[in-house]
Amino acid sequence: MTDIFFYIFSIVALAGAFGVVISRNTVNGAMCLIVTFLSMSALFVLLEAYFLAVIQVLVYAGAVMVLFLFIIMLLDVEESAARKTSVYTWAASVIAFGILIVGVVAIYSADSIRTKAESLPEASGASLKAFGYELFTTYLLPMQLTGFLLLIAMIGVIALSKKAKVDS
Amino acid sequence: MPTEIYQKIAETNTWGAIAPELALAILALSLLVLEIVLPKVAHGVIPRVAILGQLGILAYVFTTTCAGTCVTGEAFGGMLSFDNTGQLFRMFFLVTSVFVSYLGMVSLENKTLPQVEYFHILLVITAALMLLAQASHFVMLFVALETATVGFYILVSYFRNQVVSLEAGLKYLIMGALSSTILLFGIVLLYGAGSNPALAGSSLDPLNFGNLGVFLSANSSDSLALIGMLLVISGVAFKIGAFPFQIWIPDVYQGAPTPTTALLAVASKGAGFAMLMRLADLFSPLGEWMYPLLSTLAVLTILFGNLAALTQRNLKRLLGLSGVSHAGFLLIGVVAARSVEWASTAVMFYLFAYLLASAAVFAVMVHLGKDDDSDLTLDDLGDLAHKNGFLGMALAVGIGSLAGIPPLAGFIGKLLIFVAAFEAELYGLLAVAVIGVVVSIYYYFGILKSAFFEVWRFQDDDEETPEEPVPGASLRFFGKVAIVLAVAGTIVLGFYQNPLSSLLGG
Repeated sequence: MTDIFFYIFSIVALAGAFGVVISRNTVNGAMCLIVTFLSMSALFVLLEAYFLAVIQVLVYAGAVMVLFLFIIMLLDVEESAARKTSVYTWAASVIAFGILIVGVVAIYSADSIRTKAESLPEASGASLKAFGYELFTTYLLPMQLTGFLLLIAMIGVIALSKKAKVDS
Repeated sequence: MPTEIYQKIAETNTWGAIAPELALAILALSLLVLEIVLPKVAHGVIPRVAILGQLGILAYVFTTTCAGTCVTGEAFGGMLSFDNTGQLFRMFFLVTSVFVSYLGMVSLENKTLPQVEYFHILLVITAALMLLAQASHFVMLFVALETATVGFYILVSYFRNQVVSLEAGLKYLIMGALSSTILLFGIVLLYGAGSNPALAGSSLDPLNFGNLGVFLSANSSDSLALIGMLLVISGVAFKIGAFPFQIWIPDVYQGAPTPTTALLAVASKGAGFAMLMRLADLFSPLGEWMYPLLSTLAVLTILFGNLAALTQRNLKRLLGLSGVSHAGFLLIGVVAARSVEWASTAVMFYLFAYLLASAAVFAVMVHLGKDDDSDLTLDDLGDLAHKNGFLGMALAVGIGSLAGIPPLAGFIGKLLIFVAAFEAELYGLLAVAVIGVVVSIYYYFGILKSAFFEVWRFQDDDEETPEEPVPGASLRFFGKVAIVLAVAGTIVLGFYQNPLSSLLGG
């Protein structure tokens, strides 16, 4: 049963990804990306990483995509005309695809990678409760520092974009 | 839920051990409060508060080192580990930050730009870099690095009314994001390799340096770990501007406001080497692969930095490229530290010498009085020595120390690195380094030549010559003290290394 769902969601995710690359209309591309994100979160559910699945929907399919759509709207991107792909682009994509295939084969054929799922320890971030405990004990200092990261990012945006003071 | 484990971890959250960083963060926040509370006329006092506060923290860090009361060992569940090197890097970043605050104070004067935010972000960056130098866990390392990098993005594009500054900010944003991605991918691969229960020495928390070290010495030829190491080193090489990753340096250095350029040149490089020294220790089981890699990087970096700087006329690009070659010399020190124990001390000494010399040179640059500081060329230095002897002298000492002219601190720094390389039998690297030094003399003396000797310039009598800026017009008592300190430090360390070396050794 799980296998069937896995294949269904994988195919949907791949189809969405193809849609992003192929579609000429940027808004359609963004919508295809949402499809990919949603089916990837379904894959996370199948792996019993529920928290990751929720985060995937909330952050990626929600916040990040809204940001993308805002930018597309603000920039008012027109439908890009069909352009001739240059030789370099072709060569680069073929090489990249080749490297990707080699990587997948290497990972799949390496003995050390194949570990029985039962023997794997439970990840500490799998459940929300364990995640919370970890976040506020082990990772307390990095979390506090992240707060400062967000603070200076916010202050920086204001400093770089607010209207210049005119001294009278 | 076994909460006892978490309780035990929470008990290691000893906030007192990171008092300097906390104090910096509080100081940064209080600057913002001061801006709201104080009347507008008194806003000029805020940068001074920032500088004095940092000096106080510096004094505190200094006393905890000398009295031998500095905290050692791990804290925060293995996130941080304190040692003497970390303490020294704390001082290094604080001194850098004090100088940059001063430079910022001068160059933000009379500009219609937000002022206080610059110092706020600068202090947060400094605190993050101080934590970075003491991180012993990849999560901590990455978060601290990102905090500092986000701050750098803002400070690089801070002169937003100048197109070059914005362009530099954008370039740095893209390059920085790319390097962070590479670093993060490397960390993820290390995590994947180190948490595989099928392998010996694996652990549940392989991002901890201690655990990862155990894993790496048990599996020194694991291909996943090797690729991870390669990517992590590449990410760090971006920060220090080592050869294949140096492309961002000239443009970003040129476009950034001068104080930010100084911060990038000194603090960013220092942070890179703080990371690299810890990581070289961690990855030493993979040394068979890592040290040849680092040696190749060092050779290419020295050659590229020096050859590319030869034809530069723009002062900031020139200093950026010379910084690339300095990174090469420091890399030799890191490689030598494999077999010579005191080589890491030599790297620290070199960094301090580089800090003092750069402080002097950049201080001269902000006092040249040119409005648009991105296109300072060698011609702008014309007759500096006649127009303002004090600045001319400071420039001579700073550049001399960067070039490695005896008896200045830069010479001793280079000498220590060379002796370490000689003891480690790295003759090939040593030969390249000597060639690099010889080549570098040419462009460093080009700077001095244009500052000290009169250059004939074409004068068109029909055309109104624009009024030339007076160098040193913005120089006040505070600035003189700062420059004198940097120059005196450079000269004293050249003759008498005891104070610093006892700190380094102790």
